[in-house]
Amino acid sequence: MIAMSNARASRLVLRNDVAELERLAGWIEGFTGQGTSPDVSFAVQLCLEEAVANIIMYGGAKDDAIVIAVELERNCGALVARIEDNGQQFDPTRAPPPARAVSLEQAKVGDVGIHLMRSFANGMDYERRDGRNRLTLRFVEPAAPSSE
Amino acid sequence: MDISADDLAGGITKVVLRGRFDTTGAVVVELPFNKVATEKQKIVVDLSAVNFLASYGIRVLLVGAKVVKSKGGSLVIVCPDNNVAKVLKTAGMDSLIPIYQTEAAATAALAS
Repeated sequence: MIAMSNARASRLVLRNDVAELERLAGWIEGFTGQGTSPDVSFAVQLCLEEAVANIIMYGGAKDDAIVIAVELERNCGALVARIEDNGQQFDPTRAPPPARAVSLEQAKVGDVGIHLMRSFANGMDYERRDGRNRLTLRFVEPAAPSSE
Repeated sequence: MDISADDLAGGITKVVLRGRFDTTGAVVVELPFNKVATEKQKIVVDLSAVNFLASYGIRVLLVGAKVVKSKGGSLVIVCPDNNVAKVLKTAGMDSLIPIYQTEAAATAALAS
């Protein structure tokens, strides 16, 4: 099942269990270790952690078996992450930005995950297809002199 | 992830967090961190050894800061790594929890 002819793409399937986040982090590290800048690696780790944690925690009832498939691929100089799940419909691109708190006392706890994804990814697209959520995140390396 | 707490001069407690402050790490340090926040009045949280921060980690820091503030105390952050500092700023934490670049500046702020 792991047969993957394209060496530049990688796929991981997770269950809706918080313990899976550790496996996700290790898997991303294995992928981004190959020639990705520390800043982009950090951004990929952050956005995928937030996206997958959201699905695990809010994608369905505790006993629902949700399958989360994550793919990472290098494409035209960008790193593209695709997250697909069969949990309840949720479009993070339409989530309103969090309210800026005026004081520590009034600050609301939570609600920053999607905002972090928006800020650390260079692009975020969502579609609902065949009863599945499909989120695509794009990460671009900062411009650097190219020797190619 | 791990956590340690030491009492400094002037009634200040220094909490050192180490590792990946993601959901997995936050679950580990949440209880001991809350305990310090509940018991102490002046807290410096050293993030220099935290190499990753996600929203659950922010939640732990924010809840701790709120607990300390509700008792009339103060919690500050010191030495976040570049990307960790960027996460704090993006999440709007820099306007809620003071962030210092040196322990001396943090303890001076807490002492005043």
